[in-house]
Amino acid sequence: MAFKKTPDFHYENCVSCSICVQACPVGALDLTRPGKSGRYRNLFPQLVNDRCISCGLCAKSCPMECILMVIPYEG
Amino acid sequence: MKSCMGKILKVDLTSGTTTIENIPDEVYEAVLSGKGLGAWYLYKNIPAGADPLGPENILGFCSGALTGTGTFMAGRFTVVCKSPLTGGWGDANCGGVFSPAIKQCGYDAIFISGISEKPVYLYCNNKGAEIRDASEYWGLDAVEAENKLIEENSGGKIPRVAVIGRAGENLSLISGICNEEGRIAARSGVGAVMGSKKLKAVVLAGSRPIPCADPEAVKALSKELGRKINKIKIPKGLGGAIWAAGIGMGKMPSMPLDGSMTTILFREWGTPSNTPLAITSGDGPLKNWGAGPGEMHGIRHAMAFNPEKINKIEEAKYHCYSCPLGCGGRLDISGFECGDYYETHKPEYETIQAFGPLCVNDDFGSVLYMNEILNRAGMDTISAGNTVAWAIECYENGILTKEQTDGLELKWGNYEAEIELIRKMIERDGFGNDLADGVKRASEKYGGKEYAMHVGGQEPGMHDTRNDPQLGIHMVAEPAPGKHTIGMAIQYGAMSICDICSWAPPATIHSKKNDIEATEEMALISKANACYSMLMDGIGSCYYAEMMGVHMYKAIEYINAAAGWEYDGDHYMEIGARIQTIRQMFNVKHGYEPSEVKLPERMQGKPPLKNGPLKGVTLKTDEQVAMHWKAFGWDEKSGHPLPETIEELGINRLMEM
Repeated sequence: MAFKKTPDFHYENCVSCSICVQACPVGALDLTRPGKSGRYRNLFPQLVNDRCISCGLCAKSCPMECILMVIPYEG
Repeated sequence: MKSCMGKILKVDLTSGTTTIENIPDEVYEAVLSGKGLGAWYLYKNIPAGADPLGPENILGFCSGALTGTGTFMAGRFTVVCKSPLTGGWGDANCGGVFSPAIKQCGYDAIFISGISEKPVYLYCNNKGAEIRDASEYWGLDAVEAENKLIEENSGGKIPRVAVIGRAGENLSLISGICNEEGRIAARSGVGAVMGSKKLKAVVLAGSRPIPCADPEAVKALSKELGRKINKIKIPKGLGGAIWAAGIGMGKMPSMPLDGSMTTILFREWGTPSNTPLAITSGDGPLKNWGAGPGEMHGIRHAMAFNPEKINKIEEAKYHCYSCPLGCGGRLDISGFECGDYYETHKPEYETIQAFGPLCVNDDFGSVLYMNEILNRAGMDTISAGNTVAWAIECYENGILTKEQTDGLELKWGNYEAEIELIRKMIERDGFGNDLADGVKRASEKYGGKEYAMHVGGQEPGMHDTRNDPQLGIHMVAEPAPGKHTIGMAIQYGAMSICDICSWAPPATIHSKKNDIEATEEMALISKANACYSMLMDGIGSCYYAEMMGVHMYKAIEYINAAAGWEYDGDHYMEIGARIQTIRQMFNVKHGYEPSEVKLPERMQGKPPLKNGPLKGVTLKTDEQVAMHWKAFGWDEKSGHPLPETIEELGINRLMEM
């Protein structure tokens, strides 16, 4: 069984700049996840379909280092 | 240049052909990309005397030299053309996500000439470009057309779309080009040029990597900026008190400021934070530029546009590509009478001022409605607002009759008539047809020229030159006159340009009255402001990055890291001077005489206002502009760039490339 790495987002430092969304070559990301606090009603990136090809370009592009490529844990 | 694609796409809509051209590195070294690349290409390739709405005009979509490199706030694209509104140089820029999409198709810019026989759109991806039939999209508003084009071209990466609405289709000379559901590259009549070519949209779906000399160094600069912005937090609910700060600002001298000031305001409320400040300080024009805060119920209007009202209905913040600030927002307008519309982009300050206090309208909901109508139509809210305000003043003074206005009671504050009038302008219906080409042409037909606020044919941005004489210089001297984004006293005070440029004077504390005088120091200040503005446009950066100042937004460090260069600020300011000089040469080539561009008398304070912070102010803009031209090495009487200046800047050699 092949294990596929996908982006794991750490939103604490995310500035919603969408650089990762545009870096994704297959359109697997979008800014859709609403922020928790409600103060700055930012949208944050997340996977929105199953197109991710594990290329890691999103993680590489993020200036705030908010994205890690990990094998999702399915406990 | 290691941060650019090194290629442009050329499209001829008459023959239906597309070609790719390599751009020599020397061009990027001389003018960067963005507005600079556009100026170089258009000066060379549009013949003198070309009809702006004819096949010889070229419409360019230019990305920025730093777009896509990891540089924050460098995601704006610039549209360039010969302006049908003024007859001279035309440009407009916009945020969103279109700029990186240009580069991801493999180009730094797309230049479109010719005229198609039927409506078409341009589609580009990694494989190339094709011209497709757009008959089914013609007639749709910008939002409808964009969403339909995305849906029908989906399946992989989300396509990014630049599109005209009904105003551009109808060749309104005050129409712009939209993206991201109604964000507009609004100025200079760029939408009419696109409409004249029968080009409904440009759809980009490329996914090529964008190069960068030192991505880690760029990321480090962005991380530093992002952390600073993330730390900004101010107590909730202060928006309701901003008007009071405006009263203080109106009395303040010109002075050095902290660049983070605008960052705080725009992160919390976006540009609407400026509305109450502008109304009470004298920065925002009132009643068709005919009144100051001393003559109107300024506080009532300021409270009507309290930015906290906007925060209450903001569903989500909207960030342009690569922006950590996020001054935009999507608003839920279902609680207002806005026809069939339930959502709109947060209106910009300019829009609020133009359809609010400029027309003596304090109905918040009506401004939201007009914002959405104009965004969908792709009509410039600055030009449209100035034109509507002119019509109201003419009606109030008997220059226009009810018969001429198709029965509309154009009175100050009658927002229902305002809404009906902009609908008529968009569709070129009846009286609206005569206003669809801006205030200069409307006043030539009906009279009331003394109420027609335009600078060289273009309606001015919503900042009063009597409050800021430095702005007056740029409104006139800028090759696309009437713009408010080239330079201001408050901007110069915040930028600390003197710390990166050896010849730029330091910002000092001094009375605003000193800014009225034509001095060599003032000329160097206005030159530095214009050069830095051109530099930022060349890299695709945002005006609000500029306002942060050189210590917070490290543009020079960014360029060196992304391009692999090691130049200093003086070198880059010379690039700014070169871009500005080429744009001025474009005007001279096309017979658009700089010396004939004047501020309307009202904007000069002739006669001066009698009350409030603008009381007694009369400008000396003509003298200041002459000194500004001289500082650029242009003839101080005609504004024509001098041959020796053109030679010194290497422009002759550049035009041979």
